[in-house]
Amino acid sequence: MEEKTKMPAEMWRPIDRKITENEKTDRKKRCHWSDGWASFKRARLAMAGLLFASFLVLTAFLGPLFFEASMSDQNLKLASIPPVLEIYSLGQDNFAYVHREYKLIQVTEKGQILGRFKPEEDNLKDRFRTYSIEGVDVKLDYSPAGEGKDKRYILTVGQREIFPIEKVYNKTYLFGTDNFGRDLFIRVIYGARISLSIAFAATIVNLFIGVFYGGISGLAGGRMDEMMMRFVDMASAIPMILYVILLTLAIGSGTGSIVLAMGMVYWVHMARIVRGQVLSIKKKDYVSAARISGAGWWRIMTKHLIPNTMGPIIVAMAATIPGAIFTEAFLSFIGLGVPAPQASWGTLVNDALYGIGLYGYQLFFPSAAICLTMLAFNFISDGARDAMDPTSRI
Amino acid sequence: MSEKLLEVKGLQTKFSTRFGEVMAVRGIDFVVEKGDSIGIVGESGSGKTVTALSVMRLIEKPGIIADGEILYRGRDLLEKSEKGMREVRGKKIAMVFQDPTTSLNPAYTIGNQINEIIKRNTGLSGSLAKGLAKEILYKAGLPGPTKVMKKYPHELSTGMRQRVALAMALSGEPELLIADEPTSALDVTIQAKILKLFEKIKKEKELSMILITHDLGVAAESCNKILIMYGGHIMESGRAKDVLTNPMHPYTKGLLESVPGIRLDSGERLKTIEGRPPDPTKPDQGCPFSERCPHAMRICGLKMPKFHKSENGGSSMCWLLDEKAPRSSFDSFLGGGRL
Amino acid sequence: MGRYIAGRIASMIIAVFLITTITFFLLHALPSGPFSSDRPVPESVIEALNEKYKLNDPVLKQYADYMKGIISFDLGPSYRKTGVRVNEIIRESFPISARVGGVSIIAVILLGIPMGVLSAVKKDMWQDRTIMLISAIGITVPSFIAAIAFIYIFSSRLGWFPSYGMYSWKHMVGPVVALSGFSIAFVARLTRASMIEVLQQDYIRTAKANGLSRASIIYKHALKNALAPVLSYLAPMAATILTGSFVVERIFAISGMGKYFVESVLNRDYTVIMGVTVFYAVLLVAFALFADIIHAFLNPRVKLGE
Repeated sequence: MEEKTKMPAEMWRPIDRKITENEKTDRKKRCHWSDGWASFKRARLAMAGLLFASFLVLTAFLGPLFFEASMSDQNLKLASIPPVLEIYSLGQDNFAYVHREYKLIQVTEKGQILGRFKPEEDNLKDRFRTYSIEGVDVKLDYSPAGEGKDKRYILTVGQREIFPIEKVYNKTYLFGTDNFGRDLFIRVIYGARISLSIAFAATIVNLFIGVFYGGISGLAGGRMDEMMMRFVDMASAIPMILYVILLTLAIGSGTGSIVLAMGMVYWVHMARIVRGQVLSIKKKDYVSAARISGAGWWRIMTKHLIPNTMGPIIVAMAATIPGAIFTEAFLSFIGLGVPAPQASWGTLVNDALYGIGLYGYQLFFPSAAICLTMLAFNFISDGARDAMDPTSRI
Repeated sequence: MSEKLLEVKGLQTKFSTRFGEVMAVRGIDFVVEKGDSIGIVGESGSGKTVTALSVMRLIEKPGIIADGEILYRGRDLLEKSEKGMREVRGKKIAMVFQDPTTSLNPAYTIGNQINEIIKRNTGLSGSLAKGLAKEILYKAGLPGPTKVMKKYPHELSTGMRQRVALAMALSGEPELLIADEPTSALDVTIQAKILKLFEKIKKEKELSMILITHDLGVAAESCNKILIMYGGHIMESGRAKDVLTNPMHPYTKGLLESVPGIRLDSGERLKTIEGRPPDPTKPDQGCPFSERCPHAMRICGLKMPKFHKSENGGSSMCWLLDEKAPRSSFDSFLGGGRL
Repeated sequence: MGRYIAGRIASMIIAVFLITTITFFLLHALPSGPFSSDRPVPESVIEALNEKYKLNDPVLKQYADYMKGIISFDLGPSYRKTGVRVNEIIRESFPISARVGGVSIIAVILLGIPMGVLSAVKKDMWQDRTIMLISAIGITVPSFIAAIAFIYIFSSRLGWFPSYGMYSWKHMVGPVVALSGFSIAFVARLTRASMIEVLQQDYIRTAKANGLSRASIIYKHALKNALAPVLSYLAPMAATILTGSFVVERIFAISGMGKYFVESVLNRDYTVIMGVTVFYAVLLVAFALFADIIHAFLNPRVKLGE
């Protein structure tokens, strides 16, 4: 049943037509860089990574200016104090922390470290230490330790056993101290500076060698290209780390040589990418068009080749950094990295190995630093790659 | 009146993309009777492929069949479980796709692939299955089926691959075959051969067919009924000869006029339909064709036209056919001349 | 196919040759010889040692001698451990490393690939999200940190597994986790991405349209096509595990080849360094060849020698 249609007569009038309306192009002009940047901004992880990395770089390079203490100031009395302390009240505004090695550390109620209490009697045979703190007799009996029980010591004031009153954050040493009493926080910051500079420097060396080699290979084409790539293939059959190790041996240790070694070995990846890009751009019609209209090679290179390779190069660079950080940490961990007294994150991890059972925090902070930084740069490179070419993600 | 094999009612299918919701099929109804060869004709994006995939329930995330009924021999396919659908696919309704270069698995031989399908859809195995495979491949126009079975897809020409795909689809003895642009990826000469093959098989196996194409010529040759789709809707449907000689919709008319006739005099301009297809993410604002229709009226851009049936059983969705439409508009539409 | 293999073996030999040469000259370019050390040693002793090991001969002659040795599989004496030959060191320590490494590789294949498949099939659901999260951790945590974390959590705190030595299957767990962690995560992601792409292909749709079962579609039709990128990762994976063994063996105090290699580097024991490097090179290149052969085997286009 057709319903009664109450449509006024004018509905049936033919439409006036402006056909060109439909065919207007309705997109604003946008260059692909701003497109890419917009896409990057939208990827939250990538932006988070970028933020973290920037924060890290700033702290690493500017931070040390604000610290008076240096990374190698040792204070053996205050070795291996963790960042979170369980403190006891000894009366009369005196507070103490019981060190893992059964020494008594003087702290404030808020958690600042004041120093180590000197024992009146240090009885190693019966395993206890006694102190006289502002007239109060304190005894630290650690004989229960080593018998597998949970309670490892008994702290008594006068004759009474006391118990911890609270847990506070270590206000003097944010990350605690290492086994030589050095401020771990400061060491991590300095470590950041070293690890990051090495990583960045190595990436830049990679960049130059890789772009140079890859660019020439791609531009030359033909036999030259084939030979150069054959060499690259063989070179990459061997794990790079092997060669970095050997090169470090050859050149001697030291920051400079690590950078050199890494740069001399990892360029293959960059070279491949650059060469691939150059080859594919060379074939493109707009290059042929440019050549036909008389453009010289220099112009073609600057106007066409370089801007179009920048994308993948940036992505490759961002991806090299985590690898460089890893390699440097790896080397330092083995003992082939930065020499003492400088310490990179890898060195810190190595140092922390000795106290691994007792002092987990010494391990945690440099490891977290390495992992977070690698994660951040991975996110950045993922974001950059998606911004350039959304189809290629893993 | 032959029996109804397939009846689609109010089918709506949409996809959630980052550009918005694409409403590919916006409520269509049609019937396939036994022995029919239905041609679904439309430009890219009109919703014809999605319709076919919906019938086979091959729509995956982010797509979803939002509404409607798809009745096969009276039972609604949309209510079947996935397991139930597996009994339908290949055995009752089969489909052949557009691009033969990508429709076959490159990692396995033809024999391997077709044997698996035969085993699955007929329960035969071993040498019986192999025998049936050879027979079907032969019927599909592949001489030397034994050799073909040993080959990998990339060793065959596109024409041969399409025949293989057809053989695979037919191995379960389906009642209804859906062919999605089966010849669009092929050379014109092969096209003719494949269409003839379809004809032959249709007769031999008493197959009913849905043939999807953008090419009116193909539809004209092979189909007894034609559905014209545009913007997710069926604009016009009817017997092939009616639709082709006496179109009742401006879009159909435009399509027919834009086919260059062999008798085109030089100097004559090719007729085109001005404008672009509607944005699939936007809901209908009246008739989807109204923006491009040379006969559009105010009401066309505001309200969806109703279907108007003709005496021959065809129907057309257009306000021009409404009794209220002014005579002048209707005349100017008809006045384009009969073909 | 046969020609293909022959060709690959040829380039394998060339590669090993090149590597040996480069390493040799690299080592001999070192400013200090192997016998100058931190401890003051009288000149005469150094001279005598240099004579004994023919280090005063022209470099090329040393090179030729060494190459001759290689062809007869003799890698020379250790400079640091007197009386011990490099071959012995390798022979004793390699099986241990091989066992740990082998188990790691198996773990990667048996864990990584199924994880990736599951993730792809259940895309965006909780299984996928969990696996992606775990693999994100696996990818970012370097092997030595994973090793140390393992010891801290599972040995120190929980006491479930031992933290050094290699005497029982329990001793395997830590090293294998540390060595294979990264690769498992990477393979899982690789497989996932590849499966997702394959599952969207037309031929999968054809299989569905023909009524094939879910199991067949995933495990037969999709998987075979999806494994290609994983196979190309096999060779780099071997390299990763190999270099990972340097630190992991050190941390877990396992007397494998990695540990000896690092020691020899720190001690500047040239011959051991050379020998182990050559051995590693051969291993890796052989593994790469093996991976290539499997790949060729799975890919019908190459199988038929096209």
